[in-house]
Amino acid sequence: MAAAKLPLFDPLQPAQAGEARNDGQPLDVGTRNTGDKAAKSEEPGNGGQPLPMGIGATAAKKSRRRKKSPVGSDITAAITGSPSDRQGGEASPPVPPPAPAKMLSVSALIARVRVALADAFPQRVTVVGEVSNFKLHSSGHMYFRLKDAEAAIDAAMFRQHASRLKFSPVDGLEVVVQGRVDVYDPRGQLQLYVEQMTPRGAGALELAFRQLCEKLQCEGLFDPAAKKPLPRFPRAVGIVTSPTGAAIRDICRTLRRRWPAVRAYLFPVLVQGDGAAESIAEGISLLDANAAKFGIDTVIVARGGGSLEDLWAFNEEIVARAIHAAVTPIVTGIGHEIDVTIADMVADVRAATPTAAAELAVPDAADVWRRLEAMGAGLRRWATELLAASSAALRTVLRSALFRDPTSGLRIRHQRLDELSHRLRAEANRSVSLARRRLEPMGGRLASLHPARLAEAARGRMDRLAARLAWALGGRNKRAGDLLAVWQGRLLAAHPAHHMRLAAQRLTAAQRQLEALSYRGVLRRGFSVTRGRDGTILRSTGDVTHGDWIDTELTDGRIQSRVGKPDEATGDRPGQADRA
Amino acid sequence: MEQEKLTFEEALGRLEKIVSQIETGKVSLDQSIEKYAEGVALIKQCRSILESAEKKIQLLAKDQGMALEVSGELEDAPEP
Repeated sequence: MAAAKLPLFDPLQPAQAGEARNDGQPLDVGTRNTGDKAAKSEEPGNGGQPLPMGIGATAAKKSRRRKKSPVGSDITAAITGSPSDRQGGEASPPVPPPAPAKMLSVSALIARVRVALADAFPQRVTVVGEVSNFKLHSSGHMYFRLKDAEAAIDAAMFRQHASRLKFSPVDGLEVVVQGRVDVYDPRGQLQLYVEQMTPRGAGALELAFRQLCEKLQCEGLFDPAAKKPLPRFPRAVGIVTSPTGAAIRDICRTLRRRWPAVRAYLFPVLVQGDGAAESIAEGISLLDANAAKFGIDTVIVARGGGSLEDLWAFNEEIVARAIHAAVTPIVTGIGHEIDVTIADMVADVRAATPTAAAELAVPDAADVWRRLEAMGAGLRRWATELLAASSAALRTVLRSALFRDPTSGLRIRHQRLDELSHRLRAEANRSVSLARRRLEPMGGRLASLHPARLAEAARGRMDRLAARLAWALGGRNKRAGDLLAVWQGRLLAAHPAHHMRLAAQRLTAAQRQLEALSYRGVLRRGFSVTRGRDGTILRSTGDVTHGDWIDTELTDGRIQSRVGKPDEATGDRPGQADRA
Repeated sequence: MEQEKLTFEEALGRLEKIVSQIETGKVSLDQSIEKYAEGVALIKQCRSILESAEKKIQLLAKDQGMALEVSGELEDAPEP
């Protein structure tokens, strides 16, 4: 390694080396220079693989020097170097002493080899071989060895070419490469500078597809469990496709036919060619990020049919990652039925074509219409049945006695009431008549005591007295007759009722008078009645003699006493005492 | 009133719920008139959504930030 680096420090060599590289591969210089820093930084740990850093370092120095060195010196070196190299090349087998001038520096030797190679392979070479020792440097350059059963050659593919590879070369892969053969100065090694590479057997795209599939599969981007269902009735659909292709036309027509109420937003993208994958990925990410703003709940990613190359953008990793990162459910419809892209595999739902994608994105209004009709019919049938059942129930209730004759209950109660009151009345009547039966006899007796009766009886008696009187007077005494007439007139004039009242009053008065006249009333006033032994009232002092027992009645009792001798007391005393 | 704000999906979902409640006989008699009226209103609302139509596809474009804005409408692609 140290030996290999020596020429770099030789002050005599740089111009030559630089000029040689310049002639051979002017395009690569810049590229190498860009990889310089990255290559250098890995230098210490890269002992096992000297190639990358060697190239980087060399290229960088050469590049810097080339800028400083005048153009003239390059030309001079090239002119002077060329013939001597060729001679030296032929003369190298002989011993050095005879021609010391033909002694070549290593660089000169390499330079002459380079020229010889350029003569031998003026065009790019196409080489078939197997990739081994493949390394992808972080700078984007690829280093590997191309080999077959007998031989091997180091190969480098710089980033500008490597970045166009769709697939990733791996050890053991049979490839066909195109490039230039050159010498790598620091090691004096043959090296193949690869500009194009295609896998042998399968196409590059197929291989790339397979490789990305495996990679994304391992990362779980195709996981069925992670797939989101499409909403049944999206409010708005976002579309990522070309604004001019057949796809958008098909999608438009399908959306309008199936679900005219859906709003559709198109984010126009490139669907093929350089930048298509980036454009598609951006469209997906932007629609997803702005989904809420527009109410987008489904995104359609679509492209019409085309060749594998035409559809390639949808097999790019960047598109796959954008689809996988999206929160909004994505349905893809890319190419025709037979085309399956990686985008399709990552998508939540894959449709065969753009039209099919639109069909999956929105429901068919006709179906929904029919469902609505069915539900409406069910609802009406239910309501009708409910109504019928309710009316039936109502009729049953109405048929019941209570509703058919709402007053029957009342009537029954009325009847009962009547019965009871009737019985009550009967009972009362019975009691009354019973009482009356008991009263009646008393009533008869009472009636006989009625003042009117008494009055009548009195009148009868008076009539009889009048008749006897008339008879006694012999009817001749006019005066007596007149008197009788007066009596009769007065009697007759008296109205029975008035008469009755008067009679009653008179009766009462008579009773009072009778009472007043009773001797008991006199006794109450302080008088007393004295009776003899035989009970006769003593009216004269002569009615008693000395020694008789007399009985004096006072208002509250009787006193028994004995009549004393006249000499023993004043004779008048007993009589006086009696009177008092 | 509240129903006006429902999306088609929500309206249909409620309608389906009502119909299934009816089918399983979970609606009481005194709820039935209410449910029937709601069902009919939901059907009407779903129909009006179904009958509405968006004529154009709106074109989106990036604005200054990362947001999108509507930049126009896509002309109707000629029918073949």
